[in-house]
Amino acid sequence: MMTETSPKPTKSAVLSLNNIEVVYDHVSLAIKGVSLEVPDGGMVALLGANGAGKSTSLKAISGLLVAERGEVRRGDIQFLDHNLRSLSPQRRVELGIAHVLEGRRVFEHLTPDENLIAASAIRSRHDMIRNKDKVYTYFPRLYERRFSAAGYLSGGEQQMLAIGRALMTQPKLLMLDEPSLGLAPFLVAEIFQIISQINREEGLSVLLVEQNAIAALEIVSHGYLIESGRIVMHDTAQALKSNPDIQEFYLGGAQAKNFHDIKHYRRRKRWLT
Amino acid sequence: MDWALLAETGINGSLIGLMYSLVAMGIVLIYKSSSVPNLAQGSMTMLGAYIVLAYSSRFGAPIWLAIVLATLSMFGIGIAIERIALRRLAGRPIIMILMMTLGLEILLRAGSLTIWGATGRPMPIGISDDPLFLGALLINRAYAAGAAVAIVIFGLFALFFRTRMGVVLRAISDDYTAAWSVGISVERGVALSWAMASVVATVAGVLWASVQGVDQSLAHLLLKGVTVAVLGGMDSLGGALLAGLLLGIVEGIAGSYLDPLLGGASRDLVDAAMLIVTIMLRPHGLFGRHDIERI
Repeated sequence: MMTETSPKPTKSAVLSLNNIEVVYDHVSLAIKGVSLEVPDGGMVALLGANGAGKSTSLKAISGLLVAERGEVRRGDIQFLDHNLRSLSPQRRVELGIAHVLEGRRVFEHLTPDENLIAASAIRSRHDMIRNKDKVYTYFPRLYERRFSAAGYLSGGEQQMLAIGRALMTQPKLLMLDEPSLGLAPFLVAEIFQIISQINREEGLSVLLVEQNAIAALEIVSHGYLIESGRIVMHDTAQALKSNPDIQEFYLGGAQAKNFHDIKHYRRRKRWLT
Repeated sequence: MDWALLAETGINGSLIGLMYSLVAMGIVLIYKSSSVPNLAQGSMTMLGAYIVLAYSSRFGAPIWLAIVLATLSMFGIGIAIERIALRRLAGRPIIMILMMTLGLEILLRAGSLTIWGATGRPMPIGISDDPLFLGALLINRAYAAGAAVAIVIFGLFALFFRTRMGVVLRAISDDYTAAWSVGISVERGVALSWAMASVVATVAGVLWASVQGVDQSLAHLLLKGVTVAVLGGMDSLGGALLAGLLLGIVEGIAGSYLDPLLGGASRDLVDAAMLIVTIMLRPHGLFGRHDIERI
């Protein structure tokens, strides 16, 4: 399900979703036939509007669907050499998948330091100390506030903590769900800059879910566009940024014509894919 | 007014109250990790006491060894209860979980009646009946020992929750989805909290049994435990300790001054009043967390 312009991934994929379908409560279909790939060491964005199925896709990968009575009914999720579908969330973290949840979800009554300690449950004490040093180097602000309750941190600091907490598990793939949500633009820029720094320095692959397409397309190499549970477009970040349809509907570049045209566009897109 | 008598009832009341805290701490441990209000904590306390007696009378173990063995057994029983009865209910409506713990409470009480009968038996742990003299005040030795143990247990938990595993348990109680997302085994954490609550139940069972003997009435401690846990805020161990102290003092003083007027039911009336008033006026108790709001 890709447009004709879709480029061939150059490096081997660390993660590939093949035609997965997710249902909640055995009935309601949340995503249908989502396929995507994250190249090893690469950064990929999954873009789309509210309710398009972005978070559901991430939960399918991390296994956190179980907490919401959701299940992957069809398709394959391949991570390195493992088929993830039957594995517990804990096992997936051990394999190297870290999921930074939407809305940050820090452990509010714990201090930032304790948040990081709790996140090393699957790692040795030695690794924990080393990883904590690394997190505090990336986020010096967390170090300054490491002994105050995480619930009292600012939104930006909580987002940093959520990312730092994910790094404590020593992931190979970092999945971020709306890290820009509710943050001031300068903080979004700062956090995105640190994310790409981590990607470069740690060789960590990143799958970034965003509504804020402008910011996301600045740092990723490829992007997927999801609509009503389907991937409708896949291209390089450059191409997506200059695509007139994307500019119009997701980047706010051109003047939107009217709602009828948008509907028409979506329907047409669906037929074409 | 007789000040010496007032002081004496106050002190003995506070010691008894700390013994209530032991029961409440078990309830708090489970509530903290999984938001399950465990209505079986009273009968788990009773079961702990019966198992100690079983080891000492049936197998002839000395009482200290029987207590150690019973504590280990209850650790396993706690894990088993969570694994067999509670885990499958995760994510179900709270009312079903509550009914499950009520079912366990009835099962344990009826089961103990079948196995051990209804005859009360003594729990001889070697605390003398002679009172301690604090100046002119008489202090009950068994209550003093119980209160001391309650404080020690509280201290041990306070230390435990600073360790790596303790921090993990607190993380689970904060947000179990987030705990899953960083690879924490939430199920194992909840099982551990049931095991710890069962160990505390055994300790409470031994101490209370040394005061009032071993029979099914030990399970009635649930009411005291629930009252103290609610008053302390359900998820605060320190709250449980202080609320126990408070309830014990109020109950003791009410008992000695109001009993002649109310025909002996004043302690239970005070308990009921404290429970109901807390829920009406301050549902999160004295020390329960109001969820942190960012300023």
